[in-house]
Amino acid sequence: MLILNLVKQEWKKSYRAQGFYKNLAVSIMLGLFALYMAVVLLVLGFSLNTILEKADSKLNPMELFNGAMLYIMLLGLTFRFFMQQLNTLNLPPYQVLPIKRSTLINFLILKPLASPANYFLLLVIIPFAIKSVAGYYSVAVAFRFVLSFVFLVWFDSLTAALLKRKFGSGLLSFLLIILSLGAVVALEYLKVFSLFEFSRVLYDFIVLKPYGVIFPLAFVSIAYLFNKWYFSQNYYPESFNRKMKGDRTVTADLSFLNRFGIIGELIGMELKLILRHKRTKKILYMSGFFLLYGLFFYTNKTYANSNGMSFFVAMFVTGLLMIMYGQWVISWDSSHFDSLMTQNIPIRTYLNANYYLMIAFNVLCFVLTTPYFFFGEKIIYMHLAAFIFNMGVNVYLLLFLATFNTKRVDLSNSSAMNYQGTTYKSFLIVLPILFLPMIIVGTLSAFISLKVALWTITLLGFVGIIFRNQLITICVNQFNRRKYKLAEGFREGE
Amino acid sequence: MIQVTDLQKAYNGVTVLNIPKLSIPHGESFGLVGNNGAGKTTFFRLILDLIEATAGEVEIDGQKVMRNDAWKSLTGSFLDEGFLIDFLTTEEYFTFVGKLHHKSEGDISIFLDTMKEFFNDEILGSKKLIRDFSKGNQKKIGIAAALIGEPNLLILDEPFTALDPSSQIRLKRFLNDLQTRKNITMLISSHDLNHITEVCKRIVVLEKGKIVKDLQTNDETLNELEAYFAV
Repeated sequence: MLILNLVKQEWKKSYRAQGFYKNLAVSIMLGLFALYMAVVLLVLGFSLNTILEKADSKLNPMELFNGAMLYIMLLGLTFRFFMQQLNTLNLPPYQVLPIKRSTLINFLILKPLASPANYFLLLVIIPFAIKSVAGYYSVAVAFRFVLSFVFLVWFDSLTAALLKRKFGSGLLSFLLIILSLGAVVALEYLKVFSLFEFSRVLYDFIVLKPYGVIFPLAFVSIAYLFNKWYFSQNYYPESFNRKMKGDRTVTADLSFLNRFGIIGELIGMELKLILRHKRTKKILYMSGFFLLYGLFFYTNKTYANSNGMSFFVAMFVTGLLMIMYGQWVISWDSSHFDSLMTQNIPIRTYLNANYYLMIAFNVLCFVLTTPYFFFGEKIIYMHLAAFIFNMGVNVYLLLFLATFNTKRVDLSNSSAMNYQGTTYKSFLIVLPILFLPMIIVGTLSAFISLKVALWTITLLGFVGIIFRNQLITICVNQFNRRKYKLAEGFREGE
Repeated sequence: MIQVTDLQKAYNGVTVLNIPKLSIPHGESFGLVGNNGAGKTTFFRLILDLIEATAGEVEIDGQKVMRNDAWKSLTGSFLDEGFLIDFLTTEEYFTFVGKLHHKSEGDISIFLDTMKEFFNDEILGSKKLIRDFSKGNQKKIGIAAALIGEPNLLILDEPFTALDPSSQIRLKRFLNDLQTRKNITMLISSHDLNHITEVCKRIVVLEKGKIVKDLQTNDETLNELEAYFAV
């Protein structure tokens, strides 16, 4: 009964929040995206049996899948560790009410399991179980297969929350997780220890024996108990906050920027902004993942053969930070916008600082993506063209279009899928930046040649770099036109 | 110093501020009083070019403020928390603002020394970020930052609210001292009639966006204002 009330109040909290209705367009777009993903997963689920049967192996499809099970668990855990938002019921107002402690704690621990996002992968699992597992074995085995997967999801969710609460999602845990994942893959590759074999034996046992599902259930219970134990140790909100206060003092030494005068000061400020807010830090971590995007596309024949698509990926990875950060380039300053507007900062200087910051991001991403050069000559040319284009065209587009984002951005809100401050305009900003060059390259390379397409892109970029002052002036004028709209929009909280 | 001509601001056709003519000479301490919604903050935001005037204009030192950067080097202001960069530590923030006014590290530390009494040992020397300070201390930080560039014009919105009694008295002494020593032009709004009459030589009452009284401060001013606002 009480739990039901808590659920209701959480629900009220979300739909009574201002801006819930304002963002209808965004919600619809996200909904369409979710629908698309659902269809893709369903199709994958129905065709997985055929795909795995073709695999070069003596094992049947379910055995193959079981071998991947622990990998799925590890990847899921990693993904959740970074993406899953901790369920934070705002405790203090409830702590003083006569509600049993254990009720509150159970609510905090178990509520994430109710999130439908958890069960998205079942769209693959259930069709696969029906088509493949039930065919090779029996309906009972298929049922246990699905059930054991659900337990795996629960285990991941509970463990990720515990790890996150205990260790926080700082850079250190990020590196540790990436390293241990790398170690497991390396051991498999070098044939020292095969997690695949281990996983296959374990899950064959779990799924085939009638009492096998007890094992994953036991692990879920253990994860649950650990969570409970953690809360019994740290019930009071102040013990949560203790850690936060500790890492406040992280002050990167940015004094080398002083040499660049006011622009240097502004860039230093923006860097501190990025390093001291959850949301911006999250973007940095996510960018780390996205840099690997090329691995999926350049190795995939269908995409690699399409010049437009390859160029899209090239531009995305070489301009990653600029695009991720740049679409909000003015909005990041929304909470102190009045300050920047009344301080002794000419608008041109302000925009120049943001320009140089994005250029620095570009250079950084270009350098970080040089390993892709091993994928062949074509990729080298594409990355070079994309780099020049990002520096000469996209930078200005971002500076110009960012003036249309007039919504205040809440920097302390951290969730990875954070759409606070997002309006349909945010989507419109990214569209031309991402897809226009892709279309140019796609059409030119189809009708003339890839060489001509890439040279066109490169020349466009050079023109932009040469006319830098004029283009910045256009951005300054645009900023001045939109200034009051921006100031007004940023002053309005949600 | 400030010249206002035919200034009007309307939201959705409702005029919230209408000042046909107002001029504030150099070195004057100008107080603005009025009930909530009288248009004080709107007026300040118009002077600082944070909102667009429906009609008319504001000039600071002969320069139109609208979409212009020139007045920014002469002006120090603090209206609300939006004027702070709250993810910096106080030292970082003062250095940032100081550098914008081309002050050296030495200049900045000399300036901060003069603020020591006002800060009452609570502001400097900790690694605390500005967002973790109390409202009163944030106000002190904002006021100090407004002064760091040695402005000719100082604009403060309700500087006395949220300050503790001792700090209010210190701030009053400090502002009076600034006037006599540096001859700064000041624009200050306040709900506290006592404080404002002690600090400002000229007091203007706004009501529903219009100037209804324009007084030179003397012994009778406080009584006159109290009589005006009595319900």
